[in-house]
Amino acid sequence: MEVAILFGMVIGLMLIGVPIAVSLGFSSILFLLVLSDTSLAAIAQSFFQAMAGHYTLLAIPFFILASSFMSTGGVARRIIRFSIAIVGHFPGGLAIAGVFACMLFAALSGSSPATVVAIGSIVIAGMRQVGYSKDFAAGVIANAGTLGILIPPSIVMVVYASATDVSVGRMFLAGVIPGLMAGTMLMLTIYLIAKLRDLPKGEWKGWGEVFEAGAEAGWGLFLIVIILGGIYGGIFTPTEAAAVAAIYAFFIATFVYRDMGPLARPEGERNLSLMQKPVALITAFFHRDTRDTLFEAGKLTVTLMFIIANALILKHVLTDEQIPQQIAAAMLNAGFGAVMFLVIVNVILLIGGQFMEPSGLIVIVAPLVFPIAIELGIDPIHLGIIMVVNMEIGMITPPVGLNLFVTSGVAGMPMMRVVRASLPFLAVLFVFLIMVTYIPVLSTWLPTTFMGPEIITK
Amino acid sequence: ACDDGEIVIKFSHVTNTDKHPKGIAATLLQERVNEEMNGKACMEVFPNSTLYNDDQVLEAMLQGDVQLAAPSLSKFEQFTKKYRIFDLPFMFKNIEAVDEFQNSDTGQAMKETMVRRGLLGLAFWHNGMKQMSANKPLIMPGDAKGLKFRVQNSDVLKAQMAALGGSPQPMAFSEVYGALQTGVVDGQENTWSNIYGQKFFEVQDGVTETNHGIIDYMLVTNVDWWEGLPEDVRSQLGTIIQEVTATRNAESFKVNQDNKLSIIAAGGVVRELNAEQRQAWVDVMKPVWDQFREDVGQENIDAAQAINAKH
Amino acid sequence: MSDRQVSDTSFGRIVNEIEETAIALILGLMTIITFINVVLRYGFNTGIIWGLEAVTFLFAWLVIFGVSYAVKVTANLGVDALINVFPPAVRRVLALTAAAIFIGYCSLLLKGAWDYWANFANLPQTTGRWFPTGFEEMKRTSYRAWYEVVDIPMPDWLRWIEPLINEGETYEKIPRFIPYFILPFGMALLLFRVLQATWRIAAGRADNMIVSHEAEDAVEDVAHLNRES
Ligand code: NA
Ligand code: NA
Repeated sequence: MEVAILFGMVIGLMLIGVPIAVSLGFSSILFLLVLSDTSLAAIAQSFFQAMAGHYTLLAIPFFILASSFMSTGGVARRIIRFSIAIVGHFPGGLAIAGVFACMLFAALSGSSPATVVAIGSIVIAGMRQVGYSKDFAAGVIANAGTLGILIPPSIVMVVYASATDVSVGRMFLAGVIPGLMAGTMLMLTIYLIAKLRDLPKGEWKGWGEVFEAGAEAGWGLFLIVIILGGIYGGIFTPTEAAAVAAIYAFFIATFVYRDMGPLARPEGERNLSLMQKPVALITAFFHRDTRDTLFEAGKLTVTLMFIIANALILKHVLTDEQIPQQIAAAMLNAGFGAVMFLVIVNVILLIGGQFMEPSGLIVIVAPLVFPIAIELGIDPIHLGIIMVVNMEIGMITPPVGLNLFVTSGVAGMPMMRVVRASLPFLAVLFVFLIMVTYIPVLSTWLPTTFMGPEIITK
Repeated sequence: ACDDGEIVIKFSHVTNTDKHPKGIAATLLQERVNEEMNGKACMEVFPNSTLYNDDQVLEAMLQGDVQLAAPSLSKFEQFTKKYRIFDLPFMFKNIEAVDEFQNSDTGQAMKETMVRRGLLGLAFWHNGMKQMSANKPLIMPGDAKGLKFRVQNSDVLKAQMAALGGSPQPMAFSEVYGALQTGVVDGQENTWSNIYGQKFFEVQDGVTETNHGIIDYMLVTNVDWWEGLPEDVRSQLGTIIQEVTATRNAESFKVNQDNKLSIIAAGGVVRELNAEQRQAWVDVMKPVWDQFREDVGQENIDAAQAINAKH
Repeated sequence: MSDRQVSDTSFGRIVNEIEETAIALILGLMTIITFINVVLRYGFNTGIIWGLEAVTFLFAWLVIFGVSYAVKVTANLGVDALINVFPPAVRRVLALTAAAIFIGYCSLLLKGAWDYWANFANLPQTTGRWFPTGFEEMKRTSYRAWYEVVDIPMPDWLRWIEPLINEGETYEKIPRFIPYFILPFGMALLLFRVLQATWRIAAGRADNMIVSHEAEDAVEDVAHLNRES
């Protein structure tokens, strides 16, 4: 009963326009003060420890920063050129290239909205020029952009790992096969639609263009090798990988592509080389572009972490009142098995995803369902991937869907039109969700092969 | 849930409830308190770091937000440097020596050394002796040279790894398995029960039975809360704690030996040292004592060594 | 679209510049320390042992300091699907209600932040469960200035605080009241910014305190990208 009031209050406050973070925090504080003997000081401690005590969450600012450097630094543009060179000549070529580019960018960035912004802003305009409808273009990108959180690295996976104490590295590995699968399913769907509707296709520009574009984009794409190779090659932890990615992206953007920083020149002029301006090696660190990118990434980190920190206060309430145990007991008493349980989890997340931003939702739901899942013998990594795929769908369904908002901004069209445009591809993601939910091996095969079976010591 | 009128005792810890020595002890304590003190007091246990981790829990205890905790002894170095004695390598010969030291006047007095800072020790809980593992065989101390070891956050343990010529790396416990597997760090030190429970042996070349140190816990409480309890509640709770401690500590050696055998059964490699090899480890690591002699107090070291001589 | 509350006065601009630079600087430091530690460990088999702890504290500083800036520029995420349905008068009432709740939230957290921090600085906590009703009488457990962090060593230039607060005893590591200071500071700043934002709504210069989505930022980014391509 109390838990229903608590969640009702959170949603009620959100709906009257209280910021999400404050809705979570304020409701939780009231509950702790009324129901338990927890002090306000303990709540302040929780708030501070949300950052200082959750080492894995550190990956969030770093991945956001790496994304920012890549978006401002021209990495996305080069990836798109490369994608067009490879798959642009198929029926629906540019759309397929858009999905492919989203997959590649997803492998560099930890966030879905970032993927939509980086790729969508260029691809949508490009698709319209060659004759696609704006709706089709927006629908494709809004969906493909969600791969940002499924293909590693992923901020949402980091949050899940942190909330449940599973290994981030395992989660990343687990996302690889589902991520490739979802991308392939989207591309096949486009191919079929293109065949049926006779959508435009580009021309094959030859292997020369593939290699040239590949070489250009290679500097950016090499980041995939650095992140995955570094983590699984024993050079750094997943958290550190994010910091290394940020530093690498900064160097590529500033010194190789030179689209930002002291060597950048305005549109139409050639960027300077380091030989022409060696002092840039020092000034780059203090350049206005560097500061602005750091600041923008910092601001996004703050808004995201403010929500997560307050969600952790809510988690404190749930723990303190032992609510997960009560729900678990109720579900076990009702005789629910793993299958029914997963249906319930999917429904909770799909509904929750309508109101909340993914990271915040994961922090709340994961500790609630995790103990039950363990009880029912569900693999924690599999559960994590299911949650991530649910979050993907949440991002492109109204009323709250980050990808919808971003796509509507990028494509310059009303949100409801983006929603309608996304529907056919959303259906694909739904089928995909069902597959991921009931075929655990899709998520568990890779981590089990490379890292041994998951240990459950709880 | 607790009934109205009962004194609520929150116990927050970081392990599971049914496999880890500390978790088992906490569960037993909870059962006995809730049965025998029903109507007077009620204990709620929060396992698996769901409420606080070992560092935060002591802050929360001083603040009065939690009443019982059992962090590992290294965590108390913050409160009094005397506790560094438990981290010094080869200070105790075996778990019996540890047990006798903790129950001696010197050991019992240590439980009260933190009272001026608000904490009161109620009981020492054993985990066991520490072993060392790495991604290559560790036979002589030279084998550890140049390796990166994950250690608990303690100045003594960092100094110990430095003495071996290894490089100490602090790391969140949840990242250790992955880090050992990929080689971000090369080795670690832990008790049999932790090495088995966390499956570290799967991703290490082998475990060397060094018995070079201990991991033990202290059940602590907020001294103001403890002194504010009604006399009868305090004495009954104290008695239950002593009995649970005696029961579980007697089992701890067996738990660790069972875990050692389980590791072997699961295909893990366990290496034993002969007297000469072991002496070589002692020779390299024992000089660490000198760095911390002043913190620990010579009289405490002497007391520990006198007990060692008997075992 | 842009009703960002960046002050026109030169003082306002300077404050803004300081806040933004601080956010950029903290994030930059976090990144560089982490990176250096990777290089030291992998390349040189060593490391800055206090690096990890320092980075986690900087992370807390970034968020707790930055959140007041987010209020200032109306960057907090929220849901505006429902409120947009209502006529302006109702929306105004809802916005002021939301603002009042935000003020309540900050006030409670500010009390909590003070209570948490105060003892680490040998200062009294406030009494009262919901609202401060006075200052506590200092007990044995109320003096916690001795409480050090785990790894970060005490720099010599800070030693002058030892006789003031630690009974002349030396600190090996920095005392906890230093990293924790961001809590009362950040929460006080947050309360101030929320009061300012409420005043803007009351005076009719702003609609509410949330940005419902990131579209605004996205559009800016797109403009930026399109310029380049
Ligand atoms: Na990604
Ligand atoms: Na949604």
